[in-house]
Amino acid sequence: MSANAARSIDDYLKQLRAALEGQDPALIQDALYDAEEYLRAEVAAHPGKSEADVLELIASTYGAPDEVAAAYRDTEAKVKAALKTPVPAAAAGTSGWKRFFGIYLDPRTYTSIFYMLLALATGILYFTVVVTGLSLSFGFAILIIGIPFFLAFIGITRVIALGEGRLIEAVTGERMPRRPVHPGPPAGWLTRIGEMLTDARTWTTLLYMLLMLPLGIIYFTLTVTGLAVGLAFTAAPFVVLARWLGLDADATVFSDDAHIGGFMLSDHSMLAALILGILGVLILTLFMHAARAIGRGHAHLAKALLVVPGG
Amino acid sequence: MDDSQARKFQKDLNAGLVALVLLAVLERSPEDLYGYEIAKRLQKANEGEALFKEGTIYPVLRTLAAGGLLTSRVVPSYSGPPRRYYRITDEGRSLLAQWSGIWRQTRGFVDRFIEGTDS
Repeated sequence: MSANAARSIDDYLKQLRAALEGQDPALIQDALYDAEEYLRAEVAAHPGKSEADVLELIASTYGAPDEVAAAYRDTEAKVKAALKTPVPAAAAGTSGWKRFFGIYLDPRTYTSIFYMLLALATGILYFTVVVTGLSLSFGFAILIIGIPFFLAFIGITRVIALGEGRLIEAVTGERMPRRPVHPGPPAGWLTRIGEMLTDARTWTTLLYMLLMLPLGIIYFTLTVTGLAVGLAFTAAPFVVLARWLGLDADATVFSDDAHIGGFMLSDHSMLAALILGILGVLILTLFMHAARAIGRGHAHLAKALLVVPGG
Repeated sequence: MDDSQARKFQKDLNAGLVALVLLAVLERSPEDLYGYEIAKRLQKANEGEALFKEGTIYPVLRTLAAGGLLTSRVVPSYSGPPRRYYRITDEGRSLLAQWSGIWRQTRGFVDRFIEGTDS
């Protein structure tokens, strides 16, 4: 079928990668992983034969690279169509009002908010892991444990990258790898380290993990501020109402000297509270839009740093 | 007529059948299986020309797992990358039962015309 059949596992994977050119990098990573699992198991199952001999038969058993690539493309397209969350009718509506408030019906908004809150914790964790790992790696470099330590450290960052990818796919729907980066054929420690040092993805992964600290702080602050201010303002009219009804005599909506623009707001006037309430709904809705946009933007950043360089 | 049309027909048939076969294999197996093992079982069960390329079962396994019909766990291996072992879920079992029914019905229907046992 293909002009030159693969003579080695690396050859085959290269051809498969070429056949998947232009596909989602996460899909490519998964396809290469599956192929490698099969090919290595097949070679191991025929200890008498050379790698080249085993690979000669691969096209008729596992399938030629272009056939396998086609299978992944087809399955992916079908799964995408089947699993895609339907766009809520309100969000798809043409009216500006509907589109503006349709944000409340989009599940991605709420998952993005969840991610933004969580980002503070994961950001601190990632940052700590990278800083500790890097400094200890340098420190241990002159000792015999330096090499295994560095390997373990990079291994941990890859596991974290996979976990972060799964989280981001769950939260934003952006396709991320479902398999870890494969470390390649068994090799000596020094070759392994050399490969890791020259692999751009090693460094972009570390960069991403460092970036997560400031980003996590920003996301978390934005979320807490947006939600607190939006919800508090929205609640203002209800508090005044409750006061009128004598339900909660101690609640105060404004401090004594609350100003908006040039207006002095008198304590507990319903008009002032209503204005505040409308402002609150506006702030809350704008925050929801911002959260969804940040979720999407962050997914692109994660993909660019965690997946693409190796893809 | 020629080979490529036969292949195309086989491929269209396989689109749904591979998933059915994979669910059945995992349902009957007492232990969890990984991709390569499943591929070899299918190869052994089929005499002569393989009905589908083993490489095509991996994306289907992944799809089934993503749909909650299979669960999977990763186990390190000495011979290559860590292996992903699959096991059928209760949801997968009930779907398999349903699909098997559809398959028997379809097979009976098609056979009635091809074999001419009914007119």
